Amino acid sequence: MEGRFWTLVFVIFAAAALAACAVAPAYQLWFPGSGEALSTIGARIDHLFYVILVVIAVVFVGVNVALGYVLWRGAKQPSEVKAVYSHGNQTLEVVWTVIPGVILLALALYQMDVWASFRMREFYPQDMRTIAEVTARQFEWRIRYAAPDKTLEADPHPDDVYTVNDLRVPVNRPVAISLRTEDVQHAFFVPELRIKQDALPGKRIPVWFEVTRPGTYDLVCAELCGWGHYKMKGRLVALSEEDYAAWLKQAFEDQFDDGVGEGEKSD
Amino acid sequence: MNSASMTSNRRTVSLVSLGLSLLLCGCGDAPKARFSWSKETDDLTPMANAWVKRAVLQNFGTPNELVAWERLPVEYGGFAGTVTAVETVEGGGTKLTVKRGEGTTAPASARQLLWKSGARVDEAEPDGVASIVAGETESTVLMAQRLDPVPDVGDEFVLNPGNRLLDGRRSYLKNCMHCHGVAGDGAGPTARYLNPLPRDFRRGVMKFTSTRPGERVSRDDLARTIRDGIPGTYMPSFLLMAPEEMTAVIEYVRWLSMRGEFEKRLNDELKDFSRTAIAEQGKNARLEYEAAVKNDPDAERPPTADELATRAEEDFRGMAEDLEFVFVDAGDLMAGPWERADATDNIITPSIARVADTPESREKGRVLYLSQKTKCYTCHGSTGKGDGPATEDFWAITGSSETYPERGLHDEWGHLVPPRDLTRGQYRGGRRPIDVFRRLYAGIKGTPMPAFGGTGLTDEEIWHLVNYVMAMPFEGPSTTTANPSPTVATSR
Ligand code: HEC
Ligand code: HEC
Ligand SMILES: [Cu+2]
Repeated sequence: MEGRFWTLVFVIFAAAALAACAVAPAYQLWFPGSGEALSTIGARIDHLFYVILVVIAVVFVGVNVALGYVLWRGAKQPSEVKAVYSHGNQTLEVVWTVIPGVILLALALYQMDVWASFRMREFYPQDMRTIAEVTARQFEWRIRYAAPDKTLEADPHPDDVYTVNDLRVPVNRPVAISLRTEDVQHAFFVPELRIKQDALPGKRIPVWFEVTRPGTYDLVCAELCGWGHYKMKGRLVALSEEDYAAWLKQAFEDQFDDGVGEGEKSD
Repeated sequence: MNSASMTSNRRTVSLVSLGLSLLLCGCGDAPKARFSWSKETDDLTPMANAWVKRAVLQNFGTPNELVAWERLPVEYGGFAGTVTAVETVEGGGTKLTVKRGEGTTAPASARQLLWKSGARVDEAEPDGVASIVAGETESTVLMAQRLDPVPDVGDEFVLNPGNRLLDGRRSYLKNCMHCHGVAGDGAGPTARYLNPLPRDFRRGVMKFTSTRPGERVSRDDLARTIRDGIPGTYMPSFLLMAPEEMTAVIEYVRWLSMRGEFEKRLNDELKDFSRTAIAEQGKNARLEYEAAVKNDPDAERPPTADELATRAEEDFRGMAEDLEFVFVDAGDLMAGPWERADATDNIITPSIARVADTPESREKGRVLYLSQKTKCYTCHGSTGKGDGPATEDFWAITGSSETYPERGLHDEWGHLVPPRDLTRGQYRGGRRPIDVFRRLYAGIKGTPMPAFGGTGLTDEEIWHLVNYVMAMPFEGPSTTTANPSPTVATSR
């Protein structure tokens, strides 16, 4: 009797875990926002995630079915029947070492592309443009853009445009930010784009992405960086190419406001 | 059950109860929030101290029970309206038809209603509201009880008085209190880890303003500070704060500043009744006596400390009538400048557009920077590194004949403020040319950074200085004129 009870507990637990995963998206407990990755690289990362999820789901189901079966059979056996012990089964061991090994190797090879295009300079998109320098500091994001029609350089220029906690990028084209930190380690994380990168003191790290839909997304810090870590939050605003250009022009004009002739500047 | 399992059971029970008590510790009544008193108030003799505390409490209340003092230029919030018809409802209650005041929308529900004019204006308690039907121009408000005396057509009222202040308090306690303190005294629990320290609002002075020299901070200035934060300090940016919440927290900061300033003004008026002043009196009397007794052994003995204290209390009692004036004066003198702060003619607007950012202009700026007229270099150093000779001096404490014990510049709050390193390109008050212009025009209030605008320098000279200062981070000081940066595209 007791044996059956435990069989049920294990089986029900596994079934509940599967069911919870299945309904999670409907209850907004899956990925943030619409659940869809809103950057090109993010979509590829999600694809990898789902491939792995399927592999794991198959293994999970298989293991639990086998476990349930063994438990159930054992529970049905009269208590006088002695258990059988076995010591070593070369074939079995080779099989269960080689199969996972092959799966892991396949995954490693399969994801290499994505990894390379996200992290290796040689594989960055050709037409990528660095549009902003994002400097993390306790506890905010300070952002520097080049003036309209200029390219961003590593050293500040007198005509640079500055914002805080407000990163704006054009959609549907690969853009990059140059990530730095002024103090401790932080991590640049835009969950809806699936983009995450640590900021390391003394380093300037390029992070590229191509946003696929205009909108406002959370930009958060994903590395415990001190007491105010939880409120190190900004926004990433993705705009159409024209809106972006218009915004940058406006921001530039505001930046060089001399307080005279409010609004109607003679350019 | 054997004894071994008994002990293990007992151990489990005690572990569980230990766990529970750990979970629960810290629960219980939270300490009551209170506005701290300034150290000047604490220094007053008992009667003066009690009087100041009563005056401040009466007009500002406690963190849990805020008081809206109508005399102050604070937008306490709420929905203002005028009665257009009154009707008594069967079975108790009064129904009011009301017209809304400008710029407000009737809320869907309300706690209370406060009369501004008419027969009910003297009722101590605001009336309770049962329900509201909000309309386009006219709304109906059903009162919980039958009103007696009955309000008249034309009577003015406020629904949910003080709502904005309450919203501001909620936001302030959540976002700002841990640095700026409950009373805005800059001494929240996080403050001790920060440098520079969070602003103590209680002097009514803010550093980075767009208003004329000596004037109070405007609401727009506060909005900019809160939205953008202060670069180079721990004051964070609250860019993502909802606009209504921002408006509310700004009003709360203004109100806290006024509370502190009011307390300070009363203290300044009653300076003679501080323990420090009385001790000083005693010391002087003793010195006089010691001098006098050399010639005249029968010279009058100086009063003892006790005698002086009693005398002070008597004097204070004698002041009873003047206190009313002290109080009214403090309120009036304070309300004026805060009222004025947002007026357009109070905001610094350059009389001419920015002078083109040319090498010639920067050279003029450089000459001014190094001149005796501005003495910028004495503080900021001839290379702009913030290491001028003035940082080696012992500076006088404002309003006192003594100097600070350590070398260097101090602000009104008594904290060290090194002159800014201008080569770093970090502008706490904002980096737009107009921001830097205003910084030079009005100085940085509450700090030794002086105001140059108006009489000191012409607007054109200030623009030359702005051009020079803003170019500093990009060029070595010696090459300022020889090698101007080719990328400057700001002369429009
Ligand atoms: C992490 C601590 C911290 C928090 C949280 C914080 N502040 Fe500050 N605040 C500071 C510091 C530090 C300064 C002083 C900077 C300086 O002296 O240049 C300051 C300065 C200010 C000033 C003065 C600006 C001036 O012109 O003098 C205002 C107003 C202000 N804060 C408002 C707020 C409000 C409102 C909030 C909450 C919404 C807030 N602060 C939250 C640290 C903080
Ligand atoms: C008596 C000393 C003194 C003199 C003279 C002085 N400054 Fe300053 N200045 C300071 C101090 C102190 C600060 C920093 C105040 C603070 O942040 O609390 C400062 C800050 C500044 C800033 C930074 C503003 C910001 O937004 O961060 C600029 C720019 C500046 N000074 C320019 C000048 C120029 C130009 C002159 C001459 C026309 C000048 N100063 C004269 C003491 C001085
Ligand atoms: Cu961080």
